[in-house]
Amino acid sequence: MNTHAQQKPLVVVENLVKHFPIKIGAFGTESAVVHAIDGVSFEIYQGETLGLVGESGCGKSTTGFALLQLHKATSGSVKFDGVDLSKLPAKDLRAMRKRVQIVFQDPYSTLNPRMTIGEALSEPMRVHKICPEKETQQRVAQLIRDVGLNPNVANRYPHEFSGGQRQRICIARALASNPEFIVCDEPISALDVSIQAQIINLLMDIQEKYNLTYLFIAHDLAVVRHISDRVAVMYLGKIMEIATKDELFGRPLHPYTKALLSAVPEADPDLERTRKRIILQGDVSNAIDPPAGCRFHPRCVYAAEICSQSIPELEDHGKGHRVACHRLAEIEKETA
Amino acid sequence: MTDQALLLPQEEKQFSLAKDAFIRLVANRLAIVGMVLVVFLFFVAIFGPYLTPYDFLSQDLMSRNQAPSWLHWFGTDDLGRDIMSRVIYGSRTAVIVGFSTVSFSLVIGIFLGALGGYFGGKIDAFIVWLIDITMSIPSLLLVIVINVSLKPPLVNWMDAQYVATGNQIYRNTIWVDFVLVFGSLALIKWPKAARIIRGQILSIRNKNYVVAAEALGVPTSRIVRRYVIPNAIGPIIVYISAALGEAMVLESSFSFLGVGVRPPIPSWGNMISDGLRIWQMYPHVLAAPAAVLAIVTIAFSFLGDGLNDALNPRQWK
Amino acid sequence: MTKLLEVNNLHTRFKVRNGYLHAVNGVSFSLDKGEMLGVVGESGCGKSVSMMSLIRLLPPAAQITEGEVFIDGEDITNASVSRVNAIRGSKVGMIFQDPMTSLNPFMKIGDQIIEGIVYHKKIARADALSQAAKYLKMVGISNAEHRLGEYPHQLSGGMRQRVMIAMALLNEPSLVIADEPTTALDVTIQAQIVELVKGLREKLNMSIIWITHDLSLLAGMVDRIMVMYGGYIVEEAVIDDIYKSPLHPYTIGLLKSIPSLKTEAGSRLPSIPGAPPNLFTPPTGCPFSPRCTYKVDRCQSEVPALAAVPGAGGDRPHRVACWVDMRGRGVEQ
Repeated sequence: MNTHAQQKPLVVVENLVKHFPIKIGAFGTESAVVHAIDGVSFEIYQGETLGLVGESGCGKSTTGFALLQLHKATSGSVKFDGVDLSKLPAKDLRAMRKRVQIVFQDPYSTLNPRMTIGEALSEPMRVHKICPEKETQQRVAQLIRDVGLNPNVANRYPHEFSGGQRQRICIARALASNPEFIVCDEPISALDVSIQAQIINLLMDIQEKYNLTYLFIAHDLAVVRHISDRVAVMYLGKIMEIATKDELFGRPLHPYTKALLSAVPEADPDLERTRKRIILQGDVSNAIDPPAGCRFHPRCVYAAEICSQSIPELEDHGKGHRVACHRLAEIEKETA
Repeated sequence: MTDQALLLPQEEKQFSLAKDAFIRLVANRLAIVGMVLVVFLFFVAIFGPYLTPYDFLSQDLMSRNQAPSWLHWFGTDDLGRDIMSRVIYGSRTAVIVGFSTVSFSLVIGIFLGALGGYFGGKIDAFIVWLIDITMSIPSLLLVIVINVSLKPPLVNWMDAQYVATGNQIYRNTIWVDFVLVFGSLALIKWPKAARIIRGQILSIRNKNYVVAAEALGVPTSRIVRRYVIPNAIGPIIVYISAALGEAMVLESSFSFLGVGVRPPIPSWGNMISDGLRIWQMYPHVLAAPAAVLAIVTIAFSFLGDGLNDALNPRQWK
Repeated sequence: MTKLLEVNNLHTRFKVRNGYLHAVNGVSFSLDKGEMLGVVGESGCGKSVSMMSLIRLLPPAAQITEGEVFIDGEDITNASVSRVNAIRGSKVGMIFQDPMTSLNPFMKIGDQIIEGIVYHKKIARADALSQAAKYLKMVGISNAEHRLGEYPHQLSGGMRQRVMIAMALLNEPSLVIADEPTTALDVTIQAQIVELVKGLREKLNMSIIWITHDLSLLAGMVDRIMVMYGGYIVEEAVIDDIYKSPLHPYTIGLLKSIPSLKTEAGSRLPSIPGAPPNLFTPPTGCPFSPRCTYKVDRCQSEVPALAAVPGAGGDRPHRVACWVDMRGRGVEQ
């Protein structure tokens, strides 16, 4: 949680694009393109957590997968510690994977049911030759302890564990190769409500202990606010707003961010009674045929002619608070 | 460093999935009945012919169509042959045909299924097309065609070879029956094996744990060895059990129709066919092979169901 | 206020391979006409099963073993199957979690909506369709007449959920059971649906049971909340009491552990240790006792009954199932 260490970007994503070609029509004869991410740029600094929020289909998970080269990006670059991952040959990329890791959303399907916990955790150590063979067991035990489980679980199989316990094991597995950077792809949204706080705490604890950098992908704004240093808001394959946590939640500028924040329910009946909600009209547009201009304009109450004609660029509005909106100045005046 | 008590699963047992599956299998009474019967069948097929009191070919025309007695437990047939000895020998026929069929179809099925599932694209489309074509051929017709068109020339050729060379190998034409039966059965059965294996590989390749292994930097060969194959094995075992039972029943059906193993080599099918002519007077001639065939069919289906349940854990989660 | 629904000591269990899974273990509550009740709990706490038991909409493996349910004074648990069907069609409307799979993909929207009234009320198709169009307009679907002729795949998730709501309302039910109706939807769409339901409730004066795992969602919506855990109701009170003076350790822990846009960010969240109970091998005594930091000896041997707390709750009783008196030990506002 080091907000002042923002000198050296560890990850630089530049103009990342991922299009999925699909077949549509009754006989799969017509082809179309899903614009999952359409030119996304951001950087993540050493030791920080960048939160990436958005609704389903906005491309936030695809961004995480493309960043790790689990999806081959259509265009754009991902530099990790100065090395462009998208241009690395397969062998070097595999070696690089020891430094960049991922925790998936669904802890039930990401563990091989035929491998014991110990085997699963020693897998990355063996592949990347992290430590001598005879120290593996000891290190496995240490990892299991780090994620709050008892080391004697090492010779058990995944099906014996609950969702929360499995997510702990997945986190331990991600830690096994001593990574510097972890993509957390909605790590708590498949878990029971009473377990979520445990996992958030765990992620924060190990970040401090191992000096990790996170990309934290989620749809829950309150959770993102809790864990992140900076936050990026995505809509339909584009970043709409990116700022430090205090800026984004304290002074949201983009109409979409405002609507998103206003839609989050609060566990406070008095507040809810008096609250004025911004209710967005309509649904998220189709990613196969995204609207021209600003992706958000069909649902935006402030939309003007320019919004449907040209795509707004992310522009800095002070303190690294960048927003992609043509009408920001007018909106500011109107609401002031 | 965490605020919770060390979180342990509630049960204290430590089971591997294989052990877990075995425990579930043993807990299923019908599956155990099936398993015992199947093991007994294999035992009889292997050692039976050495234990039978009579030779399965030796005729005793003085004691034809005798009812079951202490001398002949299942009675004798219309040539005075001991039915129990013939049923026991018939089990060997069934097991030989069953195993050869299943191994052949598995080899073809694994090769083509894995090829299609792994590489996808045009290769896969071609293999799927091949599977569909093969499955649409009526199996009985295929066997009859093979029998009629291949057997006579083959046997003639062997006779000619025997006359020309005098080599004993060419004299015995019985194994031609076997090769033709399991050969044609394997031709019918491989598409099912290929479909199962292709489906398994396709679904496991997209499983999150395979993506996770990829993200860990695990090399492809190791992913196949440690992640894909162990997870595909369950349905294949279930397939083997079901296919063995089916192949034995099909062997009997073909022999019953005269396109399988032919007399005097006993097969349950041709024994049933023989018994059918005289069962109104001598029901035991038909009853013994028919009952054994029925029991074996049921045994394999119990075992198959049990294996299926045992190897598909966590149906409740 | 008159009572619409009364439930006494309801038990539902599932037959599983090695015995029974006790999903609902003695649930008693009532609902007034026009009241909106939130039922909150984690997966497997019995919230859906208990509410589906009210109208006996259960899978074949489930059985109601004990208890009684009265809707409008009519005994449901002992009614005939055809009578229960009639009640489902006329007095009770259902909204399910997944609008993607709750609609038949091969049937036009219009035909699906009127299926219920054509069957139950024996009215002509054309009249039914114009009725359906009226309700589609009511749930905020523009161009309703045109939509009637479309198929489900032509609608977005939020639109489908609106169609589901129109279907549930068409019989003018006195009770609507909504089972996690917004869980599969995005937060901005969820806000639309919540606003819609609040508006409809005022307009049509119906009772609503809203089942969810999201405690925050209920704060701006319902009159009363029932918290369920391990197949039991552990706490029940009007919303202000639940959020401001919760009295069950589980409710207290849950409220503290949810990050909100108002809490201090970056700090450790007070979390509940352990995991929800396994219903195959439930703990003895209070279902929450293995995770409870306030537990006493009695908690591990006896299940506490849900009882009104003296002095709490005003005109509606504040009921809690806990052996420990948690008054004054709850959330600090």
